[in-house]
Amino acid sequence: MKSVVITGLGAVSPYGAGLVAYWKGLAAGVCTIRDLTLIETEGFRCRIGAEVPGTPAGSARRTRADRLAIAAAAEALADAGLGARDCRAAALVVGAVGGGMLEAEAWYWRGAREGARPASVRAVRAMLPSAHAETLSSRLGLGGPRHTVVTACSSGAVALAEAAELIADGVVDVAVAGGVDAITRICFMGFNALKLLDPAPCRPFDQERRGMSIGEGAGFLVLESQARARARRARVYATLAGHGMTTDAFHVTAPEPEGDGMVRAMTAALRAAGAAPAEVQYANAHGTGTPQNDRIEARALARVFGEGGLLVSSAKSMIGHTMAAAGSLEAIATVLALEHGVVPPTANLVTPDGDVPFDCVPRVSRAAPLTCAISNSFGFGGQNVTLLFRRGVA
Amino acid sequence: MTTRSGVAITGVGIVSAAVTGDSAALGAFLAAPVAPPDTAFGAGALAALVDPDEARRLSRVCQLTVTAARLALRESGLERDAALGLVVGTEFGDLGSTHAFADGFLARGPAGLSALLFPNTVMNTMIATTAIAVGAREMALTLNAPTVAGELAVARATAAVASGRVPAVLVGGVDELDSVVEHELRRLGLAGERRGEGAAFLVLEPRATAHARGATVLGEVSAAAWRALRSRPWGVGRARRSQAIEAVLRAAGAQPGDVGWVYASASDDEPRDRWEEAVLGAALPGGPPVSSLGRLLGRHAGLGVLRVAAAAWTARSGLLPVVNGTAHVARVRPGRGLVHGLARGGAHVALLVDAA
Repeated sequence: MKSVVITGLGAVSPYGAGLVAYWKGLAAGVCTIRDLTLIETEGFRCRIGAEVPGTPAGSARRTRADRLAIAAAAEALADAGLGARDCRAAALVVGAVGGGMLEAEAWYWRGAREGARPASVRAVRAMLPSAHAETLSSRLGLGGPRHTVVTACSSGAVALAEAAELIADGVVDVAVAGGVDAITRICFMGFNALKLLDPAPCRPFDQERRGMSIGEGAGFLVLESQARARARRARVYATLAGHGMTTDAFHVTAPEPEGDGMVRAMTAALRAAGAAPAEVQYANAHGTGTPQNDRIEARALARVFGEGGLLVSSAKSMIGHTMAAAGSLEAIATVLALEHGVVPPTANLVTPDGDVPFDCVPRVSRAAPLTCAISNSFGFGGQNVTLLFRRGVA
Repeated sequence: MTTRSGVAITGVGIVSAAVTGDSAALGAFLAAPVAPPDTAFGAGALAALVDPDEARRLSRVCQLTVTAARLALRESGLERDAALGLVVGTEFGDLGSTHAFADGFLARGPAGLSALLFPNTVMNTMIATTAIAVGAREMALTLNAPTVAGELAVARATAAVASGRVPAVLVGGVDELDSVVEHELRRLGLAGERRGEGAAFLVLEPRATAHARGATVLGEVSAAAWRALRSRPWGVGRARRSQAIEAVLRAAGAQPGDVGWVYASASDDEPRDRWEEAVLGAALPGGPPVSSLGRLLGRHAGLGVLRVAAAAWTARSGLLPVVNGTAHVARVRPGRGLVHGLARGGAHVALLVDAA
């Protein structure tokens, strides 16, 4: 199987457009969670989230999520130094959940409140998560294998695992992969209905944590076979050395209490990478800030790596839960942590939970010469993914 | 993606207005095809298939999914809790629950929101309920695509089995007719195609594994590939050259003339159908007979998976159901055939299917 390396990164996050803004914000521990402006929040217990600031670049005829995706994917391709010729046979794998639902909701709401809505192909089409892949493929000239995965909050990470398999199996040498989601009413209202949102900015791994905060963004990566990257002397950020994908088969919304599915995903990633648990120095946790997720994830991490065996932090404390983008934005954070030797902190963490037996890097980033790290992503339906990265070329 | 596989089909499960059951039921339907007057699956028929507790807990599209998945698993002889991956293709997911969730808010504000409905607004709800129902704990992928979601799911599942990453995969497609979508398509003048609903599943596993455990092999997916054909979003493109078909022929060491017949994704969306005809004409200049079951069953993601099961039947029987005004069965060369899918927007899948 071919070795898979990361040669390009692109991010649009609640810090704004671009990788530089993303890393600067994460490394400084800046929390972007504040009052929501994109949607009405009147009457809800939680009224905050992490929005991408300003108006995303691009035609207003495109959905907000499409514009986020285009900006992130184009940045990743430019960062990798790839042009139109490289894209013709490149694979595209997109993790998505909400599609263009923000716009489709507005259209649907109008019908309900005004009694009529205009006939619109765009509104019907925008409901589909696959709309992003069609837009990216058309806009960036990506002509290789293309598919859209919907695995709830782990979608962005699954997209990377899927792209890695395409390269490892020799189907393509280059892939663009990542996730995207814009804030939508349904997502905001649904997590409110489930009482999973903290009215204050989320506090993963804190004893007083009360839930998550929603966010939005897009994160895309360029993955290449190591041989191709070496041949063209590309800069290599990291090697995606292994991944594991499992399912709990337990409950539609709740994780399995012992974290068995999470353990199997982490163990599979270690096995695929040929890595011993002791090699892993940092875990970019799924870390949503819900009492249940953080407790079970910590238990699973301890079962695999031993208590206190590695540094753990959650980017969601700063950018919220960006849904389908979370897995890929957090993979980028992990890759940049390896690149810079800096572990981004867990913002808002004041009183560490005694049931979480790890140093969760409270509030201030930590210098750490990292060589190996994992990024965990879990989703509704018990969909668990672990990505294992090694610094540079493994 | 291109896969040279040797991947066996050992189970079929179908729930649709025209046929419900396993490979034997499908074979009986294909041998004497009759289009049902209505492609919607009746509420009474579904209730007869679903456990009352599941009928209470699961949305309608999840009930369709779980029922078809169990039928396929039962025919394969694999046990519940087997080491199984899951791949499900869908175009619209559980859109009915999404509307219901939104309507609750629009009617009553935040107090009208249902915490039980919300998880169904995410498209992986069908795979989550199926994983629980059959105890599948390996990878589980929900793939979203217009028109070809079912074919794409089978292609991706074939790759998973061929690579050895999972021992076996339960792969399906599912959609239900949605009143809002149907209403909007009619308003837009895009209701020319026959649309349908239902679920279809296959069990895929390595041929050697199937033989070793004494399973009946119903057919093989010999090669699978998917690509993007150049097109504007939701548009019909002009590209004729199919890298997906070229890839499966290359992977199987086959020539265009080896393809004896084709199951295509034609559905009476005329511009899209003409594009697919042009692509097939360029790739297979011999012009093998082409069938689409769209007019019989209506287009939905389950149909893409059902076509693969039908292709295995045609490979065995040398019979191809054809619908040109009336439905009839044509004699074709048994053995190798192609299942082909092409969507507006350029999603494009090719699968070579052989007899066991």
